[in-house]
Order: sequence, then C-alpha cells, then structure tokens
Amino acid sequence: MSARRANSLGGRAAVVGIGATAFSKDSGRSELALAAEAVRAALADAGLTPADVDGMVTFTMDTSPEITVAQATGIGELSFFSRVHYGGGAACATVQQAALAVASGLAEVVVCYRAFNERSGRRFGAGVQRREPSAEGVALGWALPFGLLTPASWMAMAARRYLHAYGLEPEVFGHVAVTARRHAATNPAAHFHGRPITLADHAASRWIAEPLRLLDCCQETDGGQALVVTSVERARTLRHPPAVIAAAAQGAGRAQEQMTSFYRDDLTGLPEMGLVARQLWRTSGLGPGDIDVGVVYDHFTPFVLTQLEEFGFCPPGEGAAFVASGALPLNTHGGQLGEAYLHGMNGVAEAVRQLRGTAVNQVAGARHALVTAGTGVPTSGLILRADG
Amino acid sequence: MSDLYQRLRAFEGRPAAVSGQGSEPVNLSMIRHWCEVLGDTDPAYTGKDPVAPATMLQAWTMGGIEGPQSRSPAIDELFALLDGAGYTAVVATDCEQEYVRALRPGETITFDSVIESVSPRKTTRLGAGHFVTTRMEIRADHEPAGTHRFRILKYAPRKAVKERGERPRPVINRDNAGFWEGVAAHKLLFQRCDACGTSRFPWLPGCGGCGSPEWTAVEASGAGTVHSYVVMHHPPFPAFDPPYAVALVELAEGVRMISNITGVAADRVRIGMPVTLEFLRVAPDQELPVFRAVASEGGPPPTETDPRAEPPTGGGDRTELPPLTVPITRTLIIAGAIASRDFKDVHHDPEAARAAGSPDIFMNILTTNGLVGRYITDHLGPGAELRKVAIRLGAPNRPGDELVLTGTVTSLRGRTAEVAVVGANGLGRHVTGSVTVTLPEATA
Repeated sequence: MSARRANSLGGRAAVVGIGATAFSKDSGRSELALAAEAVRAALADAGLTPADVDGMVTFTMDTSPEITVAQATGIGELSFFSRVHYGGGAACATVQQAALAVASGLAEVVVCYRAFNERSGRRFGAGVQRREPSAEGVALGWALPFGLLTPASWMAMAARRYLHAYGLEPEVFGHVAVTARRHAATNPAAHFHGRPITLADHAASRWIAEPLRLLDCCQETDGGQALVVTSVERARTLRHPPAVIAAAAQGAGRAQEQMTSFYRDDLTGLPEMGLVARQLWRTSGLGPGDIDVGVVYDHFTPFVLTQLEEFGFCPPGEGAAFVASGALPLNTHGGQLGEAYLHGMNGVAEAVRQLRGTAVNQVAGARHALVTAGTGVPTSGLILRADG
Repeated sequence: MSDLYQRLRAFEGRPAAVSGQGSEPVNLSMIRHWCEVLGDTDPAYTGKDPVAPATMLQAWTMGGIEGPQSRSPAIDELFALLDGAGYTAVVATDCEQEYVRALRPGETITFDSVIESVSPRKTTRLGAGHFVTTRMEIRADHEPAGTHRFRILKYAPRKAVKERGERPRPVINRDNAGFWEGVAAHKLLFQRCDACGTSRFPWLPGCGGCGSPEWTAVEASGAGTVHSYVVMHHPPFPAFDPPYAVALVELAEGVRMISNITGVAADRVRIGMPVTLEFLRVAPDQELPVFRAVASEGGPPPTETDPRAEPPTGGGDRTELPPLTVPITRTLIIAGAIASRDFKDVHHDPEAARAAGSPDIFMNILTTNGLVGRYITDHLGPGAELRKVAIRLGAPNRPGDELVLTGTVTSLRGRTAEVAVVGANGLGRHVTGSVTVTLPEATA
C-alpha cells in the first residue's frame, strides 16, 4: 500500500496564499460572507486575482458551496471542485485535494476554505440528540440513547482509557492547554491573546465530560480561513516564499468510525493518524527529528498526546512529558485551544507563516512544519517545507 | 441584605410549634406498618417488649391529613411571607435526630419546636428559595425522648417545568432493526460471521474481518466489564441529570457497546468493574439495555484502585458495610409517606409533584431516614441502638429508580460507632449522612 513507499505528490505544489477573517464569538455576518472574505484575503496575500482561480475545495460540513463562494468573490469557471468529509479530519486533506488537482493538471490555482459561525450559530459543543437513520446516523446512534451526546464525551471515552493504560491523571492533559495558551497570549489574532494559564488553572477548571475539563476543550469560534495552492513553479513567481507541500496524506483505520471508534482493539492510540504519519515520513524522507514546528490538531487536549506518540516524537504514554519538555515548538499560534477553532484550517496557515518567517511566535530558521487534522475521525496531515 | 430577608430573619428564635401533642400515642400498629413498608425485620420492634424504630421519632409528631394542629402563628406568618414572595413550594432537605431513649407502645408524645434559622436566598436545582431550619424537642410521657432538627427549602418552582425530556431515540434502520427487536424481547444480540466466526458489534451488514455478508444473531450472556467510561457534567440535556456515567462495556463474548451503569453512583464507576445486563424502560414504548454493577462477595461494588481516591486511613477501624439495594417503587414512596403520616401531595400525586417542579412524585425524607436507620441496624444489630441520624437529601428518589446504600464505619470508640452513609440512585447521590450507633455488647 501507499504508506509503504513514497508517493509522487510530494514537492509538486505549494501553499502561496493565506487569508482569514477576524476570529470572534459573534461575526454578525453570514457564513458565506465569512468564506468570501477569507478567500479574497488569501488571494490578495498570494498576489493573485479571482480570475486566476480554477479550483475550489472545502469541507462537506461547510454550508457555503464552492460555486456560491466563487460567485461572491468573482471567481469564474471552475475545472475542479471537491469536498472532503469527516469534519476537522478534512483540514489537511483539502490541501491534498488541491495538490492532486495541481499536480495532475486538472487545475492551476486552487482555493481551499472553511468558514462558519460555529459559536454564534450551531455550536458543536451543544451536542447531538437526533440523527437520520442513514448508515452514518446509525453509527452515532448507538451512543445517543445513553447520553453520550457531545464531542467532548466521545473524546473522553478514549481519554479515560488512555489514562488508565498508562497510569496517568487527568491533570497531565494540562501541559497541552498551558502550551497553547502561552502561545496565544502573544498572538494578537488569538481569542486568548494576553491570557495565559497555569497548570493549576487547568486542574481547577470544571469538569465537562470527565476526565475532560473545560480547559481541555477548544473554544468555539466564528470565522473563516482560506488557503491558495498552486504549482511549485508558479509559486516561485509569486510574492511570498512558497510553503512547499513536501507530503500530504489521508488516513482511515480498520473499524474506523467518526468520533466513536470504541469497538476496535485499542482505544489508546490513533491508528488512522499512524497511517498518516507513515505516509508523511516516507514521502517527505523526513522524521520526527527534522520537524521544526508542529501544528497538532487540538480540539481536545488528550489526542494531542496520542498524535505525538503516533508520529514517533515520543513513546506511547509519554506525550505529556514530551509536551512539557518543550522539545518541539507546538501550536505556536495558540492552537484551537488558544487562537481559534477553525476546524484546523488556521493551523495550516500558521505552518505557512512559520516557513515564511512571519509568525508571531517565530521559530528561528524553521524549514519543516508538520500539520495534522481532526482526530477521532478519518483524518489527514501535511508536511510543508521551505523552498530550496 | 434584602428587605424580605430582614423580615424573614426576624422569625429566628420564635416558636414553630407550642405544646404539640402526637395525634396517637406510640403504638404497635403504626410500628408494624412502618417496619413492613421499610422491610425492617429487627426483632427489637416485635415480641415481648417491643420498642419503636428510633427513626420514627418525627412520625409520632406528624399532624396527619389536616396538617399540623400545633403550628405556631409565627411559623404560619413566616410561611405566608415566603408564599407571598413566590416561594410557594416546599421540600425537606435535612434531618438530624438525636435519640435520648427508645419509645415504647402506650407512651404519649408531646413536643415544642423553635425556628432556628432562615437562610439568605439560595438558588437550587429546584428553584430559588430560603432554607428554614427548625429544632424540635420531643418528650415521651413528659420525659425528654429526642431532638429533631429539620431543614426545609421554601422555593419558587422553576417556571414551565416540563416532564423530564425523553432520551434520544435509538437510530434504527434495516441494518440494525434486529438488535432493537432483540431488546424489546429482552435479548442482547450481537452478530457472528457465518464465514469466519468473528463476533461483531455494532451491527453491520457485512463482516469487518472477512467481508462475508452472512451472519447469525447471537444472544449475549449479559456478563461484561467496564472497558472505559465518561462522567457527563456539561452541557445539560433534558433527559439526563448530570453528573451521570456512560460506559463502554466489553461483553464476555468480546464485543463492546455503549451503555449506562446502574446500581452505583456516577463517581463509583471504574474500569474493570464487572457488570451484568438488565433492561431499563426509558419511555412507555422504549427499553434500553443497560448494565448493573455486580457487587463482589461481601462488599460494595468493586471500585478498582482509583488514583484520585484517598488512601484508607490508618488504624484499621474503617469498615465498609455491605451495600443495601432498595428498588424505589411508586408503592414504596406512597406507602412510606403514609406510614410516616406525611400526606403532602408531592409524595403521592404526580400532578401536584409536577406543579412543584418535579417530573414525578418523590420519596419523603422520613422514609429515607427510616431506610438509613434500617440499613445500620440490619448490619450492626440486632441489639444495635441508634443514637443519632443526620441526613441530607440530594437527588430525589423517584419511581423506577433504585437506591443503593453504602456505609463506612469511620470511628469506633468503646461500643459507639460512627458510620458515614451514602445512598446513590440513578440520578446521583440521594442521601449523605452520618449515624451514631451503640453496638450490642457481643459485637463491640
């Protein structure tokens, strides 16, 4: 299978533009307006015009269709449009789709976007009490009558097992939250700008779905983020140094479910992210020691630890100690815990800024950035590298 | 301080009942009735020289269907003031009784009571209100027999209290209908692949191991263990009262499913805990397969080592009492209220209970007090004498639930033991309390 050898997508395309709306708790605008604003901003950042765009990719969960965002931003004909399923698991996969289209010549300039009023509109944290009897609805439906109704609760089931397996306390998750909030504190775009926390703050925060506390859960955000992808050759003609897509991968595990992968052998790992990791390392030719900055999906703290373990930054069960050590600059924008919850798309933008040398918490000389997408679902990942 | 609260506080120290008289002398009929309802078989209450269960203390003072006869004008004024401010509903929250001596049939009961305190306005799950604490001195044949401190909440029922919301329905289609038909027939069915024999759950129309579409439904034995669990706190959902536990149960046959754990409070669920299948009716037309924690031999449901739990204190005098499980039937709630001469409508009339903000009738504090007393004397008697029972109520006991009483002997001095008691139901902690008991000589 592809995970056993390098694929040919690495090094073919680059992220050349990033653009976001303000991150807020109540945007006062439609989700479509947010998407359009982010797309315009990303094109302006790239130094491209709507007329240059011939491809668009978003999430199946997004309420603004590619064609409508195109209409609202002056983008004309589209030769490639695609959506990726599984919530935040789609984040890096939108870039993979764009790279595939560019590498194959299906499109030349592809915009990836995600925009929502997730805080002032439908809040994911409010939970689910009903599902249609589709295969997807039935899968989640096994949990609903018993009161397991929220994303936090679905994560907490695995988190409890993780703590049990390694003899840890829920307080270890605090290292992830403290790290994110430290970075957010110095990021003016972050919701939690100027508001760092301590491990004691984390341990004192109230239970949401035990063993998860309030400070283990990301915030909820209104906002939009867009990314522009084109070929490496064209990227070199544009205004910013390209963030080359060294590798891009998706992963779904055996017996994979969306948020409820409770029935497979082991709840303490994330095999789908392990699959993403194997592909990224093979195709990029890199390993954990080569990564200068990690943007690791952090809707809830526990799976940050699991992801670091799946990528081989540290042995299983040692994720918290690894984060506490500070050995890897992690979620330098503040993550979704600190900056904004944009279904992971703001994390891709942070990796691009780090490679450009323009991040607020810049890692000196960063050349390789790892980005991961949503956990607990079929997921994706990217390794971006500086050009040359 | 609010103007109302100042006026309420002015009642502190004033009498609540003056020269009250029990409507019946201590008598065997009421004792037998009480013991029958509570399932109390202590021989001290029958036979040649019977005494009354100590926890009946308040029952002897109850006014009956007409309400208290000896209520003071002061307490009537206080309640009228609270009613006028919108705090129209009442619920008992605490009961603390000290027993001077046992009561015997034929003794007449007299009592006086004082308004000890009125709290500032408090917001509670039932609604905002004020706690009123009274202290009653009870005499039998004009000798001191006991003290009864009682706290009630006078509260404004939350507006538009609905019946408890319905649980989310199972999501059923052609692929998993067989599972839910099994549940309706009280069978827990998982699938087994006809081709490779792999067991599977959740239900799917093909085998994850070999891909075969052929399968057979197999009935699970119902035995399992908790593989993982979550205690839900936030956000609230209409059908559930947090904190509640949701578990991932691994069946003996190797498949796992999400369910609820009954028979223990949410904070007692642990990984590795053995559980057994039962069916819980959650709506007139809906049952769910749930799992009851299995008590190990001679002890409470196993707790596995919880790293957060306090280490056992030294001295070796902390002894866990075996748990007592009491099904909370509508009959028990109503019969308990009647046996304790408590005719408040919320203990027998569902509509009145709803008007007071509860989805259904709930057990009165006297019955809970009696059950706590029975629990202690069951295990430390016969011959054990209650000296003091102090309880605080939390989650209400409503029909269809189950109360599991657990107790820990926290100190033993001479023949006097202190026992910490917790009673958990499906909603959480129904009662917490402490009991002081004099042990029979042989035990101590």
